[in-house]
Amino acid sequence: MLNRGFLTLIRREIWRFLALYRQTIIPSLISSGLYIMVFGQSLGSRIGTIKEASYIQFIIPGLVMMSVINNSYQNSSSSIIQAKFLRFIEDLLITPLSGLEISFGYIIGGTVRGMINGMLVIFIGWLLTGFTVGNISLTLFIMLLVSWAFSALGVIVGVFAKTWDHIAMFTNFIFMPLTFLGGVFYSIDMLPPFWRALSQGNPLYWMINGMRYATLGIFDTSPFLSVMISAGFTLAFSSVSIFIFTKGYRLKP
Amino acid sequence: MTQLEYAIRIRALTKNYDDFQALKGIDLKIPEGSFFGLLGPNGAGKTTTIGILTGLVRLTSGEAKILGKDVVRDFRFTRKSVGLSPQELNFDPFFTIRDLLTLQAGYYGLDRPLARQRTTQVLELLGLTAKADAKMRELSGGMKRRVQIAKALIHDPPILILDEPTAGVDIELRHMLWHHLKEMNRAGKTILLTTHYIEEAEKLCSDIAIIDKGRIIAEGSPGGLINSLGKSMIKLKVRNWKPSFVLKNREYNYSDDELTIRTNNSVKDMPEIISNVIARGASVEEARVFNSSLEDVFIQLTGKSIDA
Repeated sequence: MLNRGFLTLIRREIWRFLALYRQTIIPSLISSGLYIMVFGQSLGSRIGTIKEASYIQFIIPGLVMMSVINNSYQNSSSSIIQAKFLRFIEDLLITPLSGLEISFGYIIGGTVRGMINGMLVIFIGWLLTGFTVGNISLTLFIMLLVSWAFSALGVIVGVFAKTWDHIAMFTNFIFMPLTFLGGVFYSIDMLPPFWRALSQGNPLYWMINGMRYATLGIFDTSPFLSVMISAGFTLAFSSVSIFIFTKGYRLKP
Repeated sequence: MTQLEYAIRIRALTKNYDDFQALKGIDLKIPEGSFFGLLGPNGAGKTTTIGILTGLVRLTSGEAKILGKDVVRDFRFTRKSVGLSPQELNFDPFFTIRDLLTLQAGYYGLDRPLARQRTTQVLELLGLTAKADAKMRELSGGMKRRVQIAKALIHDPPILILDEPTAGVDIELRHMLWHHLKEMNRAGKTILLTTHYIEEAEKLCSDIAIIDKGRIIAEGSPGGLINSLGKSMIKLKVRNWKPSFVLKNREYNYSDDELTIRTNNSVKDMPEIISNVIARGASVEEARVFNSSLEDVFIQLTGKSIDA
């Protein structure tokens, strides 16, 4: 599978978002910096600490996840929908690359963008608040799982989407609410029992919980379960995206 | 001829789009090294056939083989063996022409030094060197068409499939492309061409298949098709011809001192026809021949012009 064609596709996907860094890297950096300064500074002093972490540091793992999710999803979905609209996806479909290689090429491109953005948010957090990562390898592993999962979801949505609105719909109506309700800015221990139980049905909550454990060593619920749930989504979305490209579903009449 | 000597071999190929049957069991044999034209009106099934051969369209039943290998089972081999220039212009807006070609070469497994070398060669071949660092959107329609063909050539495949390669290009470029295509064919590449320009098919193709409503309705060399299916005419300006005279075994009509005789082979039939006319006591003042063209054959077979 690690053939030259596959590596070329990965190179193309990474090259594309690096060339567009003003759209693909800088905005996420600015918005995360703003979240840290505005939410962290203004609310932080009033809230004090949560599970022995200062509020400003408590929100950073969630912001990392927000950035990872949005960027990995945006990369693969927008790359595919653009290739479909301008029909240059045909240049790829006629090559000797298999469906598995094409879907992984797009997924890896999105994953790399998600991870770069996630790491840059950590860097901004360190710069603005002195935030440090407790367990680097676990942090990278969770970041990789989540980034891969949402990049694979981006591939699926990119293939199915008929307009740019369909791509934005996921970001605005699904990721945004789920991220905000997933405990980026609060601990679910602060919620009444009903809302706490409901939050546990939100997959993004588990991903944020896992990242918080990996970086700060604090958690609301089982970090092991967090990793398992993230891995489950990674596996499920990857399988669907491979299936789509292998069968040519919605790509080949 | 053994199967391996066919560059492209299609057997009982069908393709259904929901309720519409685009291909109704077509058979095609395209020998290696040939310049083959697939002609048909819009919606006849040309692009679907090409799509199946190149992996852009899924077949419903039947089989398609490239150099003896199945396009579904052995897709890596077959796709490496084919370069496609699609009918519709497509472009990746992020990269320059040079980068696009280098990436395309990479998808086919060429390492970077070789990909760069091929890119330089192909840019030069198609007169694109001056535009190598431009992006597709900065190019004219004709230049974009050249880039499409450059992409098809980048991995130096033995088979080229060109779907309307000269659509929308000016005459100068068309002639330049014809020249290059002939050269490539002479150098051994098998070329499958679809075109709306009958003249193009007549000039370039050694063999032609006419497809209509998902079926191959005629196949052969342009000359052979014209001879077997076309109807040429001989027009004779005659004197003393009487309507009671009969030209045996000939389809003809007479009006205003002119006899119009239909024939499959005007050169061969002319002396005999003139002799027959003179033998009946008439004299021939003028003889003209109207030869049938491939376009006439096409219209006769499909009932419509190729532009329809």
